[in-house]
Amino acid sequence: MTDAARTFVETYERERDGLPANGLDWLVALRDKAIADFAASGLPHRRLEDWRYTDLARVLEKATLSPAPSRQGDMAWPDASAIKVFDAADRYIVIFVNGVLQSKLSDLPVGVSVSSLGDALSADWAKVLVETRVSEAQATNVTAINLALMRDGLVLDLAKGVKLDKPLHLVHLAVDDGASHRRNLVRLDDGAEATVYESYVGAGATNYFADVVTNVSLGTEARLMHIKVQDEAADAIHLATLTAMLGARSYFSSFTMTLGSALSRNQTFVRFDGEGAEAHVNGATALRGRQHGDQFCIVDHAVPGCASATLFRTVLDDASTGVFQGKVVVRPHAQKTDGRQMSNALLLSRDAAMNAKPELEIYADDVQCAHGSTIGELNREALFYLRSRGIDEQSARQLLISAFLDEAFETVPDEAAREGLRALAADWFRLTLKEDA
Amino acid sequence: MLEIKNLHAKVGDKEILKGIDLSVGAGEVHAIMGPNGSGKSTLSYLLSGREGYEVTKGSVTYKGQDLLALSVDERAAAGVFLAFQYPIEIPGVTTMTFLKAALNSVRKARGEDELDAPRFLKLVREKAKPLNVADDMLKRALNVGFSGGEKKRAEILQMSLLEPSLAILDETDSGLDIDALKVVADGVNALRSPDRAMIVITHYQRLLDYIVPDIVHVLSKGKIVRTGGKELAGELERTGYAEFAA
Repeated sequence: MTDAARTFVETYERERDGLPANGLDWLVALRDKAIADFAASGLPHRRLEDWRYTDLARVLEKATLSPAPSRQGDMAWPDASAIKVFDAADRYIVIFVNGVLQSKLSDLPVGVSVSSLGDALSADWAKVLVETRVSEAQATNVTAINLALMRDGLVLDLAKGVKLDKPLHLVHLAVDDGASHRRNLVRLDDGAEATVYESYVGAGATNYFADVVTNVSLGTEARLMHIKVQDEAADAIHLATLTAMLGARSYFSSFTMTLGSALSRNQTFVRFDGEGAEAHVNGATALRGRQHGDQFCIVDHAVPGCASATLFRTVLDDASTGVFQGKVVVRPHAQKTDGRQMSNALLLSRDAAMNAKPELEIYADDVQCAHGSTIGELNREALFYLRSRGIDEQSARQLLISAFLDEAFETVPDEAAREGLRALAADWFRLTLKEDA
Repeated sequence: MLEIKNLHAKVGDKEILKGIDLSVGAGEVHAIMGPNGSGKSTLSYLLSGREGYEVTKGSVTYKGQDLLALSVDERAAAGVFLAFQYPIEIPGVTTMTFLKAALNSVRKARGEDELDAPRFLKLVREKAKPLNVADDMLKRALNVGFSGGEKKRAEILQMSLLEPSLAILDETDSGLDIDALKVVADGVNALRSPDRAMIVITHYQRLLDYIVPDIVHVLSKGKIVRTGGKELAGELERTGYAEFAA
């Protein structure tokens, strides 16, 4: 076992009896089993196909993995663009510091429940959500650490037909070094609707491991929009896993903007459980320096007549590395499936590298599926054309990079957030191009 | 305005221009005609600053300064404009966004104030109207899915907005039917002025029926082999380039 893996196991042994909802026998049993499984398998290594391009174990060796301290009390509100990106929207805000929920929301509409993980785990539905594996790929991944060590998280529960009147914004601040394991649960009952924003920001901490799992369950005709901005501190490690089980004719849309951390992996597992549902898993990534960003996405068409679309756009400068691994699975009976998947990467430097592995696994015959991947650099002819009209080289590059990312932003259904994301990208170019000049 | 002296240039190892001498004064319209491969496009790209061309001998002086020492965008800011034979498609950048960026860059370089959105919009509409460029076209990504005629009209619109001192039109007639050609030629003619010089590069005489040049040059194998008045174009149309080709 590596030192990092041993730290997780030891942390569990030490904290086991103080973890939330430890009076629930099923949960304690689940946790014990999770840590035992993890102790047996260890951290994922690059010989596993799903982890071929991302060496999590290696970077975790250098990270501070003891639990980040709990903090309560007033905090200076950080002036972070990853938070301000959502300022145009009137929204509910909940704050996590080092992975621990700080605030309680009041004045919520009838039928809306926002609570912390410990309070919610006694509900049967929470048990189902925590226990269910959405994809076989999860069996070999690191969510076992989270399951054992999850300390807090946000639980959003919407009753039948309830529409959350304003977006809910989760602000995750890393103030102290260390590891934080959080678990969010989102259940939208039939016909319910919500928009959730998330911002991950380093606010003082430098060496930390942000580990988050979000389990989503959508009832018939429920609708969830999720927009996340990850701008963790430069040396941080960010590991996010989102699982979504989609009911009939439901709508799920997720957009992830990745800007921060030394190493990040954003995993999304979607499973269609009811016919006629629609899923969009999209994102934009912009990295520089020696950053490494991994987008991993599996969409499982387990039932007929569902549509999924995935688009990730990645811009890599300096010696940064991008990864896209995506798989669309169409089960034998899942006829009339529409599955699309695309990864496009733009390399701004000769030292940058992109690894893309789009996959289709189709067992039904009456389906429409398409996938693809491109990796390229800025079009020199286009640069010349723009410059021949008086636009200086930096501005011309910025125009072309913006245009490239914009196709990803176009997939964001929320207009206010879309504009915010564009502005965030523009900030990134300004900084990057200035450094290049 | 433009003085080209004994200009030699190569692409890779191949010498394309082999001693060009050309003098273009303000207010003049020069046509450069010649067979395929004579170096017409090389000359136009070289003047606009495209990479990949190596000048081995000679000089290009524009308004008293060494044009070859300027970067691509500096040349544009100084008033050099190339209307492309094949305008590049730029997905994701709307024509409007591009025009505004270009105009304000050039204005800034010339020490003029940048136009805000309402003033810019008014100006673009005013310039777009005679060229039959509709608002819908301005909202589309630059040149993406434009017809041949639309691309050339967009080029002339850019020229009209940027108000260059030296405009180089590279095979502007290629891919145009006669109606589109007239619209484009009218647009170009409207820009003729005593302060502006134009170089019209073309294989065929047809364009010169609409944009009537003051002087016609014949380029062959990297050299100007003949210079004459506008009647030279008609003569070439009858005899072809055969006498210059061998």
